[in-house]
Amino acid sequence: MAAHLSYGRVNLNVLREAVRRELREFLDKCAGSKAIVWDEYLTGPFGLIAQYSLLKEHEVEKMFTLKGNRLPAADVKNIIFFVRPRLELMDIIAENVLSEDRRGPTRDFHILFVPRRSLLCEQRLKDLGVLGSFIHREEYSLDLIPFDGDLLSMESEGAFKECYLEGDQTSLYHAAKGLMTLQALYGTIPQIFGKGECARQVANMMIRMKREFTGSQNSIFPVFDNLLLLDRNVDLLTPLATQLTYEGLIDEIYGIQNSYVKLPPEKFAPKKQGDGGKDLPTEAKKLQLNSAEELYAEIRDKNFNAVGSVLSKKAKIISAAFEERHNAKTVGEIKQFVSQLPHMQAARGSLANRTSIAELIKDVTTSEDFFDKLTVEQEFMSGIDTDKVNNYIEDCIAQKHSLIKVLRLVCLQSVCNSGLKQKVLDYYKREILQTYGYEHILTLHNLEKAGLLKPQTGGRNNYPTIRKTLRLWMDDVNEQNPTDISYVYSGYAPLSVRLAQLLSRPGWRSIEEVLRILPGPHFEERQPLPTGLQKKRQPGENRVTLIFFLGGVTFAEIAALRFLSQLEDGGTEYVIATTKLMNGTSWIEALMEKPF
Amino acid sequence: MDCYTANWNPLGDSAFYRKYELYSMDWDLKEELRDCLVAAAPYGGPIALLRNPWRKEKAASVRPVLDIYSASGMPLASLLWKSGPVVSLGWSAEEELLCVQEDGAVLVYGLHGDFRRHFSMGNEVLQNRVLDARIFHTEFGSGVAILTGAHRFTLSANVGDLKLRRMPEVPGLQSAPSCWTVLCQDRVAHILLAVGPDLYLLDHAACSAVTPPGLAPGVSSFLQMAVSFTYRHLALFTDTGYIWMGTASLKEKLCEFNCNIRAPPKQMVCTHEFLHEVPAASEEIFKIASMAPGALLLEAQKEYEKESQKADEYLREIQELGQLTQAVQQCIEAAGHEHQPDMQKSLLRAASFGKCFLDRFPPDSFVHMCQDLRVLNAVRDYHIGIPLTYSQYKQLTIQVLLDRLVLRRLYPLAIQICEYLRLPEVQGVSRILAHWACYKVQQKDVSDEDVARAINQKLGDTPGVSYSDIAARAYGCGRTELAIKLLEYEPRSGEQVPLLLKMKRSKLALSKAIESGDTDLVFTVLLHLKNELNRGDFFMTLRNQPMALSLYRQFCKHQELETLKDLYNQDDNHQELGSFHIRASYAAEERIEGRVAALQTAADAFYKAKNEFAAKATEDQMRLLRLQRRLEDELGGQFLDLSLHDTVTTLILGGHNKRAEQLARDFRIPDKRLWWLKLTALADLEDWEELEKFSKSKKSPIGYLPFVEICMKQHNKYEAKKYASRVGPEQKVKALLLVGDVAQAADVAIEHRNEAELSLVLSHCTGATDGATADKIQRARAQAQKK
Repeated sequence: MAAHLSYGRVNLNVLREAVRRELREFLDKCAGSKAIVWDEYLTGPFGLIAQYSLLKEHEVEKMFTLKGNRLPAADVKNIIFFVRPRLELMDIIAENVLSEDRRGPTRDFHILFVPRRSLLCEQRLKDLGVLGSFIHREEYSLDLIPFDGDLLSMESEGAFKECYLEGDQTSLYHAAKGLMTLQALYGTIPQIFGKGECARQVANMMIRMKREFTGSQNSIFPVFDNLLLLDRNVDLLTPLATQLTYEGLIDEIYGIQNSYVKLPPEKFAPKKQGDGGKDLPTEAKKLQLNSAEELYAEIRDKNFNAVGSVLSKKAKIISAAFEERHNAKTVGEIKQFVSQLPHMQAARGSLANRTSIAELIKDVTTSEDFFDKLTVEQEFMSGIDTDKVNNYIEDCIAQKHSLIKVLRLVCLQSVCNSGLKQKVLDYYKREILQTYGYEHILTLHNLEKAGLLKPQTGGRNNYPTIRKTLRLWMDDVNEQNPTDISYVYSGYAPLSVRLAQLLSRPGWRSIEEVLRILPGPHFEERQPLPTGLQKKRQPGENRVTLIFFLGGVTFAEIAALRFLSQLEDGGTEYVIATTKLMNGTSWIEALMEKPF
Repeated sequence: MDCYTANWNPLGDSAFYRKYELYSMDWDLKEELRDCLVAAAPYGGPIALLRNPWRKEKAASVRPVLDIYSASGMPLASLLWKSGPVVSLGWSAEEELLCVQEDGAVLVYGLHGDFRRHFSMGNEVLQNRVLDARIFHTEFGSGVAILTGAHRFTLSANVGDLKLRRMPEVPGLQSAPSCWTVLCQDRVAHILLAVGPDLYLLDHAACSAVTPPGLAPGVSSFLQMAVSFTYRHLALFTDTGYIWMGTASLKEKLCEFNCNIRAPPKQMVCTHEFLHEVPAASEEIFKIASMAPGALLLEAQKEYEKESQKADEYLREIQELGQLTQAVQQCIEAAGHEHQPDMQKSLLRAASFGKCFLDRFPPDSFVHMCQDLRVLNAVRDYHIGIPLTYSQYKQLTIQVLLDRLVLRRLYPLAIQICEYLRLPEVQGVSRILAHWACYKVQQKDVSDEDVARAINQKLGDTPGVSYSDIAARAYGCGRTELAIKLLEYEPRSGEQVPLLLKMKRSKLALSKAIESGDTDLVFTVLLHLKNELNRGDFFMTLRNQPMALSLYRQFCKHQELETLKDLYNQDDNHQELGSFHIRASYAAEERIEGRVAALQTAADAFYKAKNEFAAKATEDQMRLLRLQRRLEDELGGQFLDLSLHDTVTTLILGGHNKRAEQLARDFRIPDKRLWWLKLTALADLEDWEELEKFSKSKKSPIGYLPFVEICMKQHNKYEAKKYASRVGPEQKVKALLLVGDVAQAADVAIEHRNEAELSLVLSHCTGATDGATADKIQRARAQAQKK
């Protein structure tokens, strides 16, 4: 079911099994038939760790979405609320419980907080007079959810906004808890590196939590050598740029949610002759995207321009394989052919899907507007004309292109110029307010608070220094057979990943200057291990670094890290963790505020 | 061997009892035992003596003395009894002394004479006074049964969870029963009482008469009754000097005898002697002329020590019967039941000797027995005075034994036992240390500093020690400062914070919660503080804790908007106040006037925040709102909350070009955007005539390519072509290609001698129709290369 989680250096299936066990144990505590009432946001993440079959095995007979008023009728013994600890959800739950029909059969209520129990919420339930109605009130510490063999996410949508705008560290606390769980399963991580204010806080919490657990000494041989904690606001630039890997583009154009993507169905219509395409499917095509699919694993991290050739090569191999049947003479040969048929058919199906998606994406990437936008982005990132009003952005506003697109570009320009000149900034803001509405003044404030949009202070543009020192812009990028991480943005090397790369070799000491320009402290902590657990590295054995993006990570950054992991002389393999898998659009969207 | 069984007495046909002295009591009794109320705790527990119990004839000024001794007679406590007359004493399973007073109050003391708590046996008991009382033990805990002056029984089966039960009336009972006791059967407590020649059994529902089987005739009254510890056996003593012994169910008689004493025994206390049934293994080995394998093995070993060949004979005898394993097991088991270390040793030596001749005898039982006996011998020591038998020890478990040592403040011994048995720290040493610390905090003569330091020195970071538990104890003793000092050592904030709150150190709790990073904990403290402090102080506290302040703001944003405003006001955070009022203008207000007023407040705040841009923008918004309202009034339709851009567009679409122009001028919409706007709107209207007029109104600031594009978008090639000719040279090729004029595009490209344009045109050449054009381009390219 989840074999793709165990292919990497670190078997993340161990984590998945651990969280599944915890879930089963909770369900078994509520003996008898059950209905689950879901906080809708949780269904996606839960789908990655427990399918309905698991719930069914434990007598879950009905599932509802949490909403006000009375609960739907269900002939079950237990009603279990699966919720995030949020006050507004408590109000709904109380409404459900209070409007329970007392004449009907009595049902037992339980509540499962994900990922943490909250005194505040329990107080609210108490104030509403329903706290006593719950037999079991427990927490399910689903902090880090395994997405792929090298990828973990908390899927905490608001994490960036809470941490950087609202000074709410809840998600950092959860991140630290998640890291403690990881360490309980995979051993203490001997070295912690970090850059940024939030990184510092998470490291502090981890050290503190470790002290709290002094009783249970961890005797697991450490799997991870290093932990690198990175604040998203150390690198605000990368997510703003359009991702150019295959997976990144799927996410940019269609949005990947909990490893699923919904695509327009037309391209996936079963091709029948003489049908004339009359009854095209109307429901969006839903596809799961992870390394369980061999072909996807191969192309997901490639630059989109390199995907076509791979697909056509694959196509040739597959049709050649099907041709084999004509060469099969003996019964034995035919039998062998037939035995491979299911695998080949699966491969053919996968290829067809991939090709359809590639066609969909190509329609977008070959459009003139996409080209124009990319040109502007690349100009900004390479430092051209970042200090004046950009014509293309102006035209986008005048033609009322999507506001998010405009904001992404303006923010990108601001970041690539260490802030905009006051006149330029005010001009953009005025244009945006007049065109899209004055209510967006709140959104603009948010972007300014997050540092995405700001006036240049001190009249100094630091970006060129950072760009040059960290070699963020590479002119000679090879998209087909990349030699550097800059291939994921066709020229721009993501700053965050470059920091990781330089940390592993030659070390951050070489870039002290730039680290001082970037926001927040950088630090190193050691967690001492008992001598028995200290690792003796075999020659040529790679280190394993867990890199945690606090505030979100993009698929292009993941691709770049995977590229580094696969380098023959790279010396480091990465496992990636984050508060949220995101892209520039979902990021800006989370920062937007719509008062009506 | 003869002398060994000298203290054995037969009971029935198949069992023996034996009796031996455990300790020669060292207590210095001033009065006779018979003048005292005495209670000995089970399982080798302490003994309580209430000397000089209430005697009516004595002056009330002479207060009785309560003494507590260990089982070996070591004094543990002595205190003057200052409360009311005591009827009965007894020990609970937790080794708490229960003193039942005449008024039905039960006072509970620890074994060091420390008062713990008290409870009452109810109003009925208070009114009728206590005539007699019994403390009894069940699997639920320890209970109290009361016989009141009204000859009614009240009992509670568990004093830890006090539930009083009044037993039914005994019919015709006019005076106190001659004797009574508590029986426990099927997890329910009953009362057996004797009235004249009759016996009654009381359960909580009914009273029934019972007759013991095989009772000798002639009994006119029962003087005493006693029940065994397990509630299995019962003894009845009659006025004829006859004793009946049988099962407690009164269904079977075990034995009887006549002792010819007719006076009732006043009180039987048996503390320094030990009477028990001889365990089977001991019986097998030590029974006179026993041929049991264990007995033979013991002999063999003795002979071996004497270097006699008889050892071999005995051994062969056992081995021939194939009973060597059994023999070893018997010796090990019997050793456990011996009280004297010498005898234990000789039995264990025999077992060890036998083991040598066995191939694969699992060592566990031998090893464990040696360990258990060491522990037992240690606690049986005179100074410790806990004379447990092996079976009692196994029943109690090591954990409970450790608890009892802790209760006697014998911390070092407890720790030695933990270390000797290699118990996990959390269950063993840490737990003992924590208890020690809890005791330490009660030493009021030592300063807070010293206690805290002493505790930390000893406990350090020992895993499993909860500093907050110790602190809670210190707080319980009224030592708040000490509790706070101890909490400093507590690494778990989740434990620190609630106690600090309880101690009303909310501000300290707040900083601890913040340190932990656990936001939920911070919220909890905040809500606590909010109720505890007045608003001003609360806000000041927040002001000094930025993290708490931001969290509280978050809370207010969802729960208490008005408070949020006050918070911003307090901090002079005009920027956020501005945003706050902007939000309010949408959320709180429906009427335009209200909305405008809210926006005005916002604008004022932005000015104060020196955010000129936001202030001006907000004023623009107010202007727009009023205008939109006027437009709706005058023109009808929907204008409110459209953006400025959309308002102008809507006006154009509605044919109100003049007003559109005016609006654009008023709000200084840049020319370029206005051109885009008009272009798009007119194309949407397909008002080609107006579009053309507009295009000629002045030179287009956005060029003419957008005109071509937009016409083509509306599939109007005819109109598009009009504008294609006006497109500037840089975009001419693109425009011509858009309108499908490939040939002319080629000409222009050739004229421009622009390679990129040439390729672009070439890529638009479709095979059949544009063949000539393609050739033309190729020729031009070739020419260009020649040059």
